[in-house]
Amino acid sequence: MTSSRYAFILAGGVGSRLCLLSERRAKPAVPFGGKYRIIDFTLSNCVNSGIYDIGVLTQYRPTSLNQHIGTGRPWDLDRSRGGVQILQPSLGSVESDWYQGTGDAIYRNLMHLRRRRTEQVLVLSGDHVYEMDYNVLYAFHYAKQAAVTVAVTEVPEESISSFGIIETDRAGRVVGFEEKPRQARSRLASMGVYLFDHPSLHRWLMEDAACTDSKHDFGKDVLPRLVARGESVYAYRFQHYWQDVGTLDSYYQANRAFLSDQPPLDLNNPDWVIHTQSADRPPVRIEHGAHAERSLIANGCRVAGRVTRSVLFPGVTVPRGAVVRDSIVMHDTVVGRDAVVDQAIVDKQVEIGDGAVVGSGEGSTANRSCPDHLMSGLTLVGKGAQIPEGITIGRNARIGAFVTEVDFTGDVPSGGVVDGPESMH
Amino acid sequence: MAHALALVLSGGGGERLSVLTSERAVSAVPFGGKYRIIDFVLSNCCHSGIDQVGVLTQHAPTSLHDHIGAGRPWDLDRRAGGVLILQPYLTRSHAGWYRGTADAIAQNWDAIEERRPARVLVLSGDHVYRMDYRALLRTHEQRSAALTLAVARVPPEDSRRFGMARLDRDGRVLSLVEKPERADTPFASMGIYLFEFEVLGEILRPRPVDLVMDVVRPMLESGERVYAHEFSGYWEDVGTVGSYYRSNRELLSPQPGMVLHDVRWPILTRDEERPPVLVTEGAMIEDSLVANGCRVSGTVRRSVLFPGVRVERGAEVVDSVVMADTVIGPEARADRAILDKYVRVGEGAVVGHGETPRGGEWAWLEGLTLVGKDVEIPAGVRIGRASVVGIGAGPHDFAAVELAAGTLLPSRSWLTDVP
Repeated sequence: MTSSRYAFILAGGVGSRLCLLSERRAKPAVPFGGKYRIIDFTLSNCVNSGIYDIGVLTQYRPTSLNQHIGTGRPWDLDRSRGGVQILQPSLGSVESDWYQGTGDAIYRNLMHLRRRRTEQVLVLSGDHVYEMDYNVLYAFHYAKQAAVTVAVTEVPEESISSFGIIETDRAGRVVGFEEKPRQARSRLASMGVYLFDHPSLHRWLMEDAACTDSKHDFGKDVLPRLVARGESVYAYRFQHYWQDVGTLDSYYQANRAFLSDQPPLDLNNPDWVIHTQSADRPPVRIEHGAHAERSLIANGCRVAGRVTRSVLFPGVTVPRGAVVRDSIVMHDTVVGRDAVVDQAIVDKQVEIGDGAVVGSGEGSTANRSCPDHLMSGLTLVGKGAQIPEGITIGRNARIGAFVTEVDFTGDVPSGGVVDGPESMH
Repeated sequence: MAHALALVLSGGGGERLSVLTSERAVSAVPFGGKYRIIDFVLSNCCHSGIDQVGVLTQHAPTSLHDHIGAGRPWDLDRRAGGVLILQPYLTRSHAGWYRGTADAIAQNWDAIEERRPARVLVLSGDHVYRMDYRALLRTHEQRSAALTLAVARVPPEDSRRFGMARLDRDGRVLSLVEKPERADTPFASMGIYLFEFEVLGEILRPRPVDLVMDVVRPMLESGERVYAHEFSGYWEDVGTVGSYYRSNRELLSPQPGMVLHDVRWPILTRDEERPPVLVTEGAMIEDSLVANGCRVSGTVRRSVLFPGVRVERGAEVVDSVVMADTVIGPEARADRAILDKYVRVGEGAVVGHGETPRGGEWAWLEGLTLVGKDVEIPAGVRIGRASVVGIGAGPHDFAAVELAAGTLLPSRSWLTDVP
């Protein structure tokens, strides 16, 4: 090995379009795929690519993420040398402040590279679901003798306004970089995966920090500027599955894609295991009279009712007479007897009373509080909510985290909102 | 737990488990959909606060050593204490396979002494139960015993399977009779012994062989303070094909004796990272345990599926135990069968076909069909009930499409298999 490799993972994302799911946790910590957290894919990509020296940059609601990563055991990142380090904004040094943008976040942590013999620096986002061998990216970077290589993927025309859109020449050199444009000549989106030459990164971030009109963001400022002045910026075209689960609908669809006979990623591939922190749970227990079809069901679940086209995270209980249909139900949620969960996303540790219906009737009314994110018919239940017996909750409704019986005045209409106790912050 | 060191006896070859144990120790046999048998004892130790554990191995220990590793899953990877594998070894003056349970302990006395435990708790690695050893310790302390053994009540007809202990009113052990036809006591010794360290050290000096015959019995005869601690929970010695099968099946009952779901007493194991169970259209699963990594498109009833098992479309798994990464091909069938890891059952093949043979020779199989690790059963082959297919058997070993009930197909030796 010529030099050691180092990766920063940006995990401070607010994920506001995920509504309740990321209200109390950073987007990378949002549960995904029946047992994982979104960041597991990036962390596993690192270790599967042989990168064992990683800094995770956190800012927004990091508790759940910190707990998940811990000492990095599941990824074999609990090491004497290297391993995983959580890099949160800190006070005490001269230039300490909250991270202003992605570039600023790395800038404030450049000192961690000082003692490392690393010729390149990999900058990743903890928000995406994909499997990528970063060795291929390094090889491309060397071959092009690039100063920075940006991984790109093709996105549909209608979603270009959600991404940094990149234009390249025939050799793959980036000639245009526009953050979230209305229209563009290219459909190549930046995946938020950057491989920098270490000295160039250092120089550019120093430079950007001195810029008063910069938002200190890679996508908005740093890269467009580099492209504009003709630096050696290359685009590596990634041809496989990559999913930004930024909205509730895309989150729901991306989870459901794993129920197909040809899932977008082979999570059973022994050569590319996605590691996660998992508690010791017994195998799934499927009882007499149960019916389960087209579903992902994790260890620790107990099913005696009907589960179809759904994703059940560890420890979910579906008793006799209960129905879970087209839904995503997270850890340790208990569905009551004869209760129905239909087209819903139910967060962890929710208690659904006997005979309650979550997701009922027409879905024509958008949610009262977040009409832009909750309008396609999904019903959303926050962590730890207690839903009273026999109550009916309409579609596009939002039931806040930790609500209890007293917060309900009766059935919740389509698009309705039940708010729970104010979060401490 | 106050300075107790646990010794887990895991050297047994378990002849009676046939192909399941020809290449692994009984303690390492997979159990309950994701565990190994030894996990129950190691979890008991962990939850009882015992953090010094020696595991005595001898027969085919590789898979057991692999499983235990540094002891992480049980929090036994410690700087002080932790888990210690005690295998037979050579020195200049001594060559020693373990001649028996007491001999195994005696040969490792130096290592045990180094840890200076106040007491030594001897356990069997082949039992499935949940027990808080602190309760045993309390009995031991209250009685100021030299030795306390755990006992369980068993029905009279089972007395010939166990060492039966006769007790006085205070719970002092009066006698211990090995496997009597008829016993005048309901108490069976569970093979769990808590010794005062000094007492055990002294009695091991003349190098006894067997723990019961040469240690416990002489202690009773010489009037040492030997007491019994009654345990009333679920406890099963899974040393035979029948008991192994029944205790797996017992986990599927509505109120199982062995609770795996208790979050206060989780059964800890070395877990592989596998995705959640994928159940596809047309699948039918009932009364079963199905572990992560499984993919079910067919029918599964009253069965235990370990991680990574695939049940293809139209396939049927009924009343069976199927270990990790075995594939039941399309339209294939397993009925009252135990299939070890990495078995491939070809399309339309049947494991456990036709009538159960009557009579003597195959009685120990109780009508079950055993398939060893790495076996490839060709498409369409039907294997009669109460048969045993040896490890690694491949298509060329199946001469006919139909194997009569009670057939024994020998294991392939991989050494002679030139690739």
